[in-house]
Amino acid sequence: MANDKIILLGAVAYDPKVVTIWEGIRKHFQEQGSPMDFALFSNYERQVEELLKGHIDIAWNTPLAHVRVRQRTNNGSLSLGMRDSDRDFCAKVITRRDSGIKSLSDLEGKTLAVGSSDSTQARILPLYFIAKEGIDLSRIKLLPFDTDLGKHGDTGTSEIDVLKALHDGRADAGTVGDLIWVNEQAAGHVDSSKVEVLWTTPGFDHCMFDAHPSVAPENVESFKRALFAMKWDNPRHRRLLELEGLREWLPPREEGYQSLQEALEQQSPQ
Amino acid sequence: MSAEVAVIAVDGGELSLGSGLLALVRPALNELECGGMLAVLSQASSVREDLPSWCRADRHEYLGFETIAEGVDRHLIERGQFSIPRPTADGEASLAPSDGKLTASDVLRVSPLPSNADPFTGFAPRGARVEPGGPAYPFTLNEREHVAPPEVAKLYDQAVNAQWDATRDIPWEKVKPLPFPLAAALSQVMTFLAENELSALYVPARFIPRIHPAYAEVAMFLASQLADEARHIDVFLKRARLCGVGLGTSSVTTSRSLLSLLQTEDFTEAAFLLSVLGEGTFLDLLSFIERYAPDEATRELVSRARNDESRHVHFGLAHVRYGLANDPNLYGRLESAVRRRAAALHGVGGVPAPLQDALTILAAGSAEPRAVARGHEAFRELLETMHLSRIRRLEYAGFTSQQAETISELHTPNFM
Repeated sequence: MANDKIILLGAVAYDPKVVTIWEGIRKHFQEQGSPMDFALFSNYERQVEELLKGHIDIAWNTPLAHVRVRQRTNNGSLSLGMRDSDRDFCAKVITRRDSGIKSLSDLEGKTLAVGSSDSTQARILPLYFIAKEGIDLSRIKLLPFDTDLGKHGDTGTSEIDVLKALHDGRADAGTVGDLIWVNEQAAGHVDSSKVEVLWTTPGFDHCMFDAHPSVAPENVESFKRALFAMKWDNPRHRRLLELEGLREWLPPREEGYQSLQEALEQQSPQ
Repeated sequence: MSAEVAVIAVDGGELSLGSGLLALVRPALNELECGGMLAVLSQASSVREDLPSWCRADRHEYLGFETIAEGVDRHLIERGQFSIPRPTADGEASLAPSDGKLTASDVLRVSPLPSNADPFTGFAPRGARVEPGGPAYPFTLNEREHVAPPEVAKLYDQAVNAQWDATRDIPWEKVKPLPFPLAAALSQVMTFLAENELSALYVPARFIPRIHPAYAEVAMFLASQLADEARHIDVFLKRARLCGVGLGTSSVTTSRSLLSLLQTEDFTEAAFLLSVLGEGTFLDLLSFIERYAPDEATRELVSRARNDESRHVHFGLAHVRYGLANDPNLYGRLESAVRRRAAALHGVGGVPAPLQDALTILAAGSAEPRAVARGHEAFRELLETMHLSRIRRLEYAGFTSQQAETISELHTPNFM
């Protein structure tokens, strides 16, 4: 059934809803005259490898996967688009009110709950930005929640675990992404008498559609045309956009991944 | 950043984002046009961290804050494009009671029925601000002229006011034992009424889910009609059982006639067959039973049922008249519906025999032959009265006298 005109897209199945999302988007692409099919992977490492081998044309990647693809293709990969919600992401440092932590330097000597080791927003970047503020990470006791490794924090379970550890008193402070933090507060799941926000990291960007350098330009254009034709006020599109956590698709931008590149360079042995 | 551009301000005091601040911020943003400014005064320092993130999550523009007094920040938010749009037209006129009462007609005056209804507004009450992007609902009755005659509000108010209690409002203690032929006749009549009222419960119920909620008053009126029918089934069967001879017979004529009613797929055709022709004919039948009722309890329950039925006939007539006034093709469709039904019932014979005999005995008041002759005459007069009343109603609905005559003669021998 392979057909050069049909774009093959990879996505990671971090939740059953991923099938609903991509089946819906596939149908939309067909209606737009931009036939697309998708393959689901269980983890981003495998998805990146298959993209680099050219087994898939486009990958819907986390920031970590995006930065790896950029590095491994010497910036030859094509960035096609991102969600509005992927722009200006932040991470939050949340503290227990009874922890006595009033500034980042007070974290030294305390227990800091952090999310999965491959979660950009709950572990990699908050620790990078905290260190950048002059804090000695080796003097902080980390309480890691390494759930759903390979999913790069998509499931959000490690962030929920961080908030739970804070409420339970197992940690003095914790790091989570800003969306989980405000959404949990808006939903009434946060006890404001116990925990509060201490600090917000600088912004960074999140997911990205990465295309293999060899994908035909007309396929790239046809993909972008169909993608940007999805509209929030169209009921059929809206359901898919809600599930995928965006209101509109936006063009790509690379500057939002600078901090993650630096963080990865610092963490990996030179 | 300047305070002059803010058109609304809320004072959040010491509320943090997670302890209730959003209950002030969200409704205030809702009052703004896209691009409008909201100032949020806050004495909680965590709001400096959380409000920008919430604005990002909810797609509003966070413009920053300034400290305007010791410990008090003023944050500025610009309303984003994805909020629920404000109504473009002027809002509703205000609703005011008159003589301490608020009627459905008062509501209709401030919130008139639209000529067409939008499937995307779903169950949103008429006049509500509807967030765009919701699913389309499968309602099929989306045009006022096919659903909602102007009389609906008045009839709904009357229906609500006229509800009664089948347990306590009938002087059941006045029921006395009847001699056998009369007891059997009354039980048969009550069995027949209950069977037909069951169809009158089921037929309108099929159409309620098809009516667009913009015409909720119609669904509400029909709900009152269903409650009426439920009560009628209840009292008729209670009276039948008080006869002490068991229930009467259900004839195939009745069964076929009611099935053809239940299978009518068009709302206006069903209203015409059920309410104008069927329940209309029942008004004369109920008058007849009331006149020959053997006791006060029977008289009372039949009289109450007749009052309810007359409201259903009134609504059916209003519905059909409104449709005919707006759609000249409707005459032909309604006549065809009657002809189709008559064809389906062709050869079933006249009035179901058990009913005819029971009405005759009831009118006779005994099995004495001369009395039975009077009963038989009364029954013949009833048929003639029913025919003339149907013609009168059909003419009122807008049919010519010739059409009315034809349609009345084709009407089911089962009365309903």
